[in-house]
Amino acid sequence: MSENRKKQNAIGSGFKEQELGQISDAQIAKRLWSYMRPYGFWFAVSLLLLPLVTAAQLLQPHILQIAIDEYLVPKKLEGLSLIVALFGGSVVAHAALQFIQFYIMQWAGQRALRDLRQAVFDHVQTLSVSFFNKNPIGRLMARMTTDVESLQEALSSGMVTMVGDLFTLGAIVVILLVKDWQFALVTFTVVPPLLVATAICRHFLRAALREIRVKIARLYAHLQESITGMPVIQLFVRENISLAEYKDINLDYRHANFQSIRYDAILFAVVEAVGSIAVGVIVWYGSGKVLEGVVTLGVLIAFIEYMQKFFVPIRDLAQKYNLFQSAMASSERIFQLLDNQERVQRASEPVDMSHAPFEIEFRNVCFHYVEDEPVLKNVSFHIKPGERLALVGHTGSGKSTIINLLMRLYDPISGQILVNGVDIKLLDIQQYRRIFAVVLQDVFLFQGTIGDNITLGDASVSDSELEEATKIARANVLINRYGKGFEHPVSERGSNLSAGERQLISFSRALVHKPEILVLDEATANVDTETEALIQEAVEALMARQTSVVIAHRLSTIQNADRILVLHRGEVLEDGSHDELLANGGHYTRLYRLQYAA
Amino acid sequence: MSSRNRKIKHYFRKYWALFMGGAVFLVLTNIASLAIPKHLGSAVQKMRDAAADGELLNFDLSIIESHGKWIILLAIGAGLARIFSRVAIFYAGRFIEYDVRNELYEKLTRLSPGWFASMPTGDLTSRVTNDVNFVRTLFAITFLHVINTTIAYGLALEKMLALNVTLTIWSLLAFPVLLVFVRLIVQALFTQTKIVQAQLSTISSRVQENLAGKTVVKTYGIEKRESARFLELNEEYLKKNLKLATIRGGLSTNITLIPGAGALVVLLVGAEMVVQGTITLGEYVEFSGYVAALAFPTLAMGWVFSVWNRGNAALDRVLEVLEAPEEITERGDATELPDMDGPRGAIEFENVSFAYADGDDEAISNVSLSIPAGTTAAIVGRTGSGKSTLVRLLARFYDPTAGSITIDGQPLTTLKLRQTRSETGMVPQDPFLFSMTIGQNVRFGLDALEFDDTVDRPLPTKSLMGEGEVDVDTRREEALRIAGIYEDLQAFPRGLDTMVGERGITLSGGQKQRVTIARALLVDPRVLVLDDALSSVDTHTEKQILDHLDSIMEGRTTIIVTHRFNALSRVDKIFVLDEGRLVESGTHEELCQSGGVYSQLFEHQKLREELDNE
Repeated sequence: MSENRKKQNAIGSGFKEQELGQISDAQIAKRLWSYMRPYGFWFAVSLLLLPLVTAAQLLQPHILQIAIDEYLVPKKLEGLSLIVALFGGSVVAHAALQFIQFYIMQWAGQRALRDLRQAVFDHVQTLSVSFFNKNPIGRLMARMTTDVESLQEALSSGMVTMVGDLFTLGAIVVILLVKDWQFALVTFTVVPPLLVATAICRHFLRAALREIRVKIARLYAHLQESITGMPVIQLFVRENISLAEYKDINLDYRHANFQSIRYDAILFAVVEAVGSIAVGVIVWYGSGKVLEGVVTLGVLIAFIEYMQKFFVPIRDLAQKYNLFQSAMASSERIFQLLDNQERVQRASEPVDMSHAPFEIEFRNVCFHYVEDEPVLKNVSFHIKPGERLALVGHTGSGKSTIINLLMRLYDPISGQILVNGVDIKLLDIQQYRRIFAVVLQDVFLFQGTIGDNITLGDASVSDSELEEATKIARANVLINRYGKGFEHPVSERGSNLSAGERQLISFSRALVHKPEILVLDEATANVDTETEALIQEAVEALMARQTSVVIAHRLSTIQNADRILVLHRGEVLEDGSHDELLANGGHYTRLYRLQYAA
Repeated sequence: MSSRNRKIKHYFRKYWALFMGGAVFLVLTNIASLAIPKHLGSAVQKMRDAAADGELLNFDLSIIESHGKWIILLAIGAGLARIFSRVAIFYAGRFIEYDVRNELYEKLTRLSPGWFASMPTGDLTSRVTNDVNFVRTLFAITFLHVINTTIAYGLALEKMLALNVTLTIWSLLAFPVLLVFVRLIVQALFTQTKIVQAQLSTISSRVQENLAGKTVVKTYGIEKRESARFLELNEEYLKKNLKLATIRGGLSTNITLIPGAGALVVLLVGAEMVVQGTITLGEYVEFSGYVAALAFPTLAMGWVFSVWNRGNAALDRVLEVLEAPEEITERGDATELPDMDGPRGAIEFENVSFAYADGDDEAISNVSLSIPAGTTAAIVGRTGSGKSTLVRLLARFYDPTAGSITIDGQPLTTLKLRQTRSETGMVPQDPFLFSMTIGQNVRFGLDALEFDDTVDRPLPTKSLMGEGEVDVDTRREEALRIAGIYEDLQAFPRGLDTMVGERGITLSGGQKQRVTIARALLVDPRVLVLDDALSSVDTHTEKQILDHLDSIMEGRTTIIVTHRFNALSRVDKIFVLDEGRLVESGTHEELCQSGGVYSQLFEHQKLREELDNE
């Protein structure tokens, strides 16, 4: 196997990245600013403190200069203590101002990030189901965590002090030029080589870092998948092959790191060396000027001190710029998500909901998920108030799609769905959805308590209503079985409850929300006979109470329905009661034999 | 010596050349850079003297200028030595990281499912990712700074004491205090970082829950509640982050204070000394240079303590994995499965009992069964009756707590582990596919036979459907046809080269199951085990696949674990498990007549069908 082929086919090679570059930096900055604006005052205060921090810092060499020229050289003791006190004051002031500036920036910045995080979460809540089908959960998670974290990182590592760094650099240049412009110009000759060396190192370092990122992602993807699939690896004795693949990636990763170590070490050493070289240059050139009496010894020392403070910001600038860039990339990804308007269209001026009883009508509804693959073809039917309607049909006949459209998780491609004669698109979507309660095959439970999962946080549900609902849904038996009753904890996705228990809880959930219309997609999961009996009773009790639309899998459910809608390949073939349809001897009869007979 | 210390020593020894080289260059860089203050001080003093003597114009400038030249040379020398020292030590760190990662992976491949079950996935992931990084810093960062600080202090102190003892004592007075501060702050930083990360993972799981439950969220219209629930966590996260930021601010304040405090003390005490003539101005400047040079090494030490602690804790966690007992091992005198001409794959369970480590009851109790070579057997029973456990024992993922299992007369425990597994075609319950191409997934088991010398089996080349030898790709196509998945794959634009998990293409549960069946067939197994591997396949396709299997598994053994009874009239023998015990065995007809558990289960299934029929 060639090297290339081996790497391409290694475990975890399905890893990919997303494209960027559609939103300009200016736009991104503008939009980030809109999250910062509420705390604009504090951002401003923090920024205004930056010059003060710089001043406190750059005062120190000047004080030293005075100490040397006025006191140490003439050997004068009087007044020296004041100078020392001034120096001490500026050291403390520098540290204190720096802390205050940083804290205020964090106080405001963290709040802006909280708002952004919340905005992303809230925005995602409004997106339609079709959006979620296209975007894996993992990617959305990354937007809400990793990408916001990258902004967080940029903020807390003091990206904003980049402004302060630039300010410091500028100030040092001005101060030195004012003190002695010729001396300053000679001293600054060490800067261009430093800039060039830094730029070159940075260039290679950036490439190395990019390589590291790609390799570590590959390495972890391989590792993660190997851990999950270890039994399969062992069954097919692929341990050594997988280890070899892993070592290959690991080696690439190590090489990328070696590269980064080299350039990083050079960069680090260059900045440090240039600091000392500047001292040498100052001594070499400055000594003549001191002896000529053009500059004082104090100025010479001050030059050295200033130049010591000059190089570290230059080194950090490049690093902070990198952070800034990755923060911008993350912001772009976040804003791309915030710009996504893939949602079920909202009525601009919603029509008032009429009152119960509700009659629902599907009128010539057509629908597809994928172009040219129609799922519903011109479907029309009524659901009358109080009616119990069963939907039956083979897999892929369109039953679930009807429920999806009814719940307005999608809108029809053509045709209308009407409630009491009004197109549901004209209604407030949340108000409309509230007339339903939905129980799906795959019951979803939230982490929390059983009670929370039934009420879904609706505080207006009284304890007696809760009791009542669970009694009707036959869930009371199981709930009472647990010592803590409604307070019994539900773990992630309800994994500590059996499939049957989860269903009974979701029945209770539906009931407690007092729907006008119950939508039920019966589960086919295998449950023990005792629970099966409970579920059957519960379904009957549920359907008896209000208008119901049920995708039926149990014979008893079909028999209890007032009307059965027989779907086949996206069309309504037959419509009538169980007995009528059987007497007809049409599609239903055949379906019935196939599904419910042996 | 604890295993941790042994490990640390092992790696220092393994990469001693790099560490030693790094240390030597650290000495050189410190010698060079700590020679600079002396030159600076001398230059300043000479300028001062010249100015005081008033002989400015006659003064030989070149002496002072040569100090300047020396400073530049020393700076360059120190810089070069600095580069080599960092490269050597950090390379060593990355070499060690590389080794640890490989060791961990290799260890994972030798650990059995029982161990994986005992270790939460998140915990394991953090051990093999984050902890390894901390182990690297344990070696690289700690070594670099401990050596560097020691050398810097050693060299500088000698020079400082030579200049003035009092000034030395005064100027170093503040450092220990600041050192303790830095150490405390870094400790707090690490702790708070952990707290923030924990909160982030809480947020992540809440988001994940919200996304997974989107249908409930939408249909019950509880977006507002979800938003409020998220806000709660978000606020908490803000608070924790702000605290972390405060600690970071404190640290950078200290970083500012340390050099400042040094300079202040030297000024406070030294300036007076200069004025009084105890030391010269040049010596003052020189001394300041040493104090400034010690600021960074002092800071680094405050950091190193925490890095050392964290690194040790991480190494302990890594070692827990590396030293985990291997439950399933191969005996030194293990043999290969015997070569056989006739039917192969006889399976024998003799009084086998087994209990999972975390379970109170036995999952398998005293099961004895025998499946003759070349036959097809079925294992049935209710959920939780022990069917899958039986299969796992056969794959030697676990060893029985009592009793023995043999294949072709050889006890499993005396056989070569991997060679035996490679002749057992397992199709697990969960059709796990790797994110590589479908084609690569299908030939997953062939890679070891083709490229791994430690697996002593020739690559099978016998055609599965026809006669004679065929190449690997043809054989793979045959396996896919037998598993009834070939046509499905043809429908994908990129066919076998389709990446599993590729966007827009999803394999259904039944399709995945059929791919895993093809994967097992391709290794030419002596025993084929289908662990409920057709549950998502419709009955018609199931029948076709089983028909194919009957013909290609001729002379070898097939074991079918299933819930469905409709396929069972074809098998040679059915074993019925109930609560871990073998309660019945026989053919479908025999078991139906005997009136035991099987006939009850079968009756029940028929009854339900009939009931629905009314």
